[in-house]
Amino acid sequence: MAERRRIVPYFLLGPGTIWLLLFFVVPLFYMGYLSLESGIVGSLSFSWNWGNYSDALSLYDTQFARSFLYSGVATLICLLVAYPLAYTIAFRAGRWRNALLFAVVAPFFTTYLIRTLAWETILSDQSPVVGALRFLGLVPENGHVLATGGAVIAGLVYNFLPFMILPIYASLEQIDERLIEAAKDLYASSRAAFVRVTLPLSAPGIVAGTLLTFIPATGDYVNAQFLGSAGNQMIGNVIQSLYKSQLDYPAAAALSFVLMALIMVVVLIYIRFAGSEALMGEETL
Amino acid sequence: MKGTVRWLREHAVNIVAGLVVVYMLIPIAVILVFSFNDPAGKYNFTWVGFTLSHWGNAFGIPELNSALLTSLKLALLATLISTAIGTLMAIALVRHQFHGRRAANLLIVVPMATPEIVMGASLLSFFIILGAPGLGFQTLLIAHVMFCISFVVVVVRSRLIGFDRNLEEAAQDLGASALDTFRLVTLPLIAPGIFGGALLAFALSIDDFVISNFNSGTTVTFPLYIYGAAQRGIPVEVNVVAMILFGVTVLAMGATVWQQRRAEKAASVRPEQEAAPPVAIGAAEAA
Amino acid sequence: MGRRALSALAAAVAILALAVGLAACGSGGGGEGGTVKLEGEPSGNVTISNWPLYIDPGKNGTVKEFEKASGIGVKYIEDVNDNAEFFGKMQPLLEQGESGGRSLFVVTDWMAKKMDDLGYLQSLDKSAIPNVEQNLVPSLQHPGFDPNRDFSVPWQSGMGGLIVRTDLAPEVHSICDLFDPKYKGKVDFLSELRETVPLVMTCEGTNPEEASEEDWMKAIEKVKGAVGSGQIRRFTGNDYARDLTSGDAVAAIGWSGDAVQLQADNPNIEFRMPEQGCSLWSDNMVIPVGAPNPTAAEAWMNYVYVPQHQAKIAEYVNYVTPVEGVKRIFEKSEPELAESDLIFPSAEFTKNCFTQAQLNEQEEQPVTRAWNAVLNG
Repeated sequence: MAERRRIVPYFLLGPGTIWLLLFFVVPLFYMGYLSLESGIVGSLSFSWNWGNYSDALSLYDTQFARSFLYSGVATLICLLVAYPLAYTIAFRAGRWRNALLFAVVAPFFTTYLIRTLAWETILSDQSPVVGALRFLGLVPENGHVLATGGAVIAGLVYNFLPFMILPIYASLEQIDERLIEAAKDLYASSRAAFVRVTLPLSAPGIVAGTLLTFIPATGDYVNAQFLGSAGNQMIGNVIQSLYKSQLDYPAAAALSFVLMALIMVVVLIYIRFAGSEALMGEETL
Repeated sequence: MKGTVRWLREHAVNIVAGLVVVYMLIPIAVILVFSFNDPAGKYNFTWVGFTLSHWGNAFGIPELNSALLTSLKLALLATLISTAIGTLMAIALVRHQFHGRRAANLLIVVPMATPEIVMGASLLSFFIILGAPGLGFQTLLIAHVMFCISFVVVVVRSRLIGFDRNLEEAAQDLGASALDTFRLVTLPLIAPGIFGGALLAFALSIDDFVISNFNSGTTVTFPLYIYGAAQRGIPVEVNVVAMILFGVTVLAMGATVWQQRRAEKAASVRPEQEAAPPVAIGAAEAA
Repeated sequence: MGRRALSALAAAVAILALAVGLAACGSGGGGEGGTVKLEGEPSGNVTISNWPLYIDPGKNGTVKEFEKASGIGVKYIEDVNDNAEFFGKMQPLLEQGESGGRSLFVVTDWMAKKMDDLGYLQSLDKSAIPNVEQNLVPSLQHPGFDPNRDFSVPWQSGMGGLIVRTDLAPEVHSICDLFDPKYKGKVDFLSELRETVPLVMTCEGTNPEEASEEDWMKAIEKVKGAVGSGQIRRFTGNDYARDLTSGDAVAAIGWSGDAVQLQADNPNIEFRMPEQGCSLWSDNMVIPVGAPNPTAAEAWMNYVYVPQHQAKIAEYVNYVTPVEGVKRIFEKSEPELAESDLIFPSAEFTKNCFTQAQLNEQEEQPVTRAWNAVLNG
């Protein structure tokens, strides 16, 4: 009986682990091999070409910095925008809870590209939205929103908002309301109850949402391609152009690894700061 | 005056939430409006006139239809496989202690931390080396399952963590075997989590562009079709189909909500309570 | 180094070995081209890869008509979005003598030449394509990259030039005008290297057909300057169409076929032949090595070179048709199209135009790299 207990987890894990190892880990190793080659498609040769990595860092430092800036700002905005909505759905929505959740997820079903292209229409110079922004002074008289960093960030915020809302909602939903009541019984104001009780208890959700937003946003290229101009391209655009237009697989592979490594560094710092149980779910019951 | 300010302050959160929902739906509205447009040329950028003809012709472009069907088929299969695999993994990770737990956790988390472009490109290199049978539906399926697994695991795991073990213990105290307990108690209670994971997997798969772009071969999925069409002028029918997808999703979700409400009403013998512990404890005490 | 770290390391080494081993298996022999071998009457199935929205669609479209007329089953895929991207996708297959199931695909001149140089294309058996021999317009019969049309047959041809909002920027008549600070931030350039840079070269007085690597680099520098000063709003594929329509851009480097389409809904948008000339290119049907059923592929080529069949395509696509005789058909059925310089350009209209400039092997990488550095900011 005890032995069966011990191998059961391995059986449960088996298919998933094999799949991920074979189709995620192994390809990465191959990409590593590729990153040490030189030449372009049609004439690749392995040559321990560490130069690809130093090139990656030196040639594209602007795009790296820009990517982290855009995704950082976008993540922050997402957090500020998502939290109230998640809070409302968790605590104030009652019967409308599921409907609201669906309202959050449903736009996903209209395809990433179409949503981004719709923003091209919404943010074009003559649109009422931009007119309103000019009126509010947020955009200079002759300025435009499209083909600027602002438009790219706006696109990122829109496309990754569900990734922020859902985890925060999930952790808010699990909070026992009686705890908040207890705080209020102990003379805490609404605000204090929120800050001292709700907010810390929703921390796992915030951490998860932040990571699920920041990480893919940093590698995104669709928003920059359609909403930005030459000066707003992100590192994802560079990788895409290296793979598709320049067919320089080694450089693209090296750049991809550097991107992953940098993201990992940021994430590790963040987790150290935020606490790792939130992410890894170390608890067992 | 003071009353208004107070009202605003109390409902500030709700107002913000409402605005956010509106914000999320603005692009949908734009897409909807332009699905009724009647341009003479291939471009659908300015409003020309109202027509229902494209709605009537929604499935009149064969390439669009086959792309859509491919996407649906792919998403369905990918969801089934990844949900099954992911649920098993989540159970193992939450319920069992074993060697390599850390490593398994890492394996789940790292794909979510990898930019899609990196996953797509590395898979491409991998499939090319393997040669036969070449890029196509199977490689797309493999790729989609791969990136969905992690998300399913995370969703199901969070549901499992919040799950009250006492219920299982109660069932076993009442004589149920481990398998029966799993089947009759655990599974139904974590079903919403599994459903949530499956829904997420489906949404991710049907919307995926980057990874599919790299690994599709001659297969064209709906997002890829749109990307290609964007180079030339997206036909109005694309807007129509996008709206239909959206509408079907909303209806499906609405149906689930309605279904849930009916189930709740039917089971409303108990007083309203979210936490089941009092019931379980009561049952355990009675046993 | 604990036990766990050691086992992790061992696993990593094992996986690396596996990956390298698989990599070694990957190499194969290159293709040597060869000639299409016709096999009896055309029949069976054929897979064609083309650019999106490059053929009249639907139940009465050319593909369906061809299937009815010939009995050949056609799988028509629109997966060519970009020449380089398509090359990247196909190269590993073509290198092994495979085509991924495709019997025919359509690529632009320079890519057709590149593929042929690498031995990836088959030479055509002209006996099965008499309509092509007969009806190909004279101006496309002996292009520089394929003087005897041995491996390519034009699908459609087109011009790259200026597309202008006549109400907002009436005085734009040459590429150099695009650099006028008056239009700062309202000009779109094509992201396609081989369209934009040769046109910019003409502004400097260089003939793109004889340009050296230095000329390319100089032109790229000029564009880079325009990006830095904010002159260029953005680099686009087709989305300059959107910018022109909304007025976000007042002038752009664009393609003749798009202009015809844009004008349909917006009479203020028109194609202007640049003073120094336009770029002339064509997209070509080619048959790759390893193509299944090349007989059917050639039957397709022959079919679309019948003027009545081509007229249907031309009416939808609005690019320069390579088939003689379509103009006469349009004179009766679509007189405005028959008059259009953009679909039937006269020799006078294109007198300054140049065929798409070629980059040889040494030039290709540094020039492409420099250009992408400009695109990616």
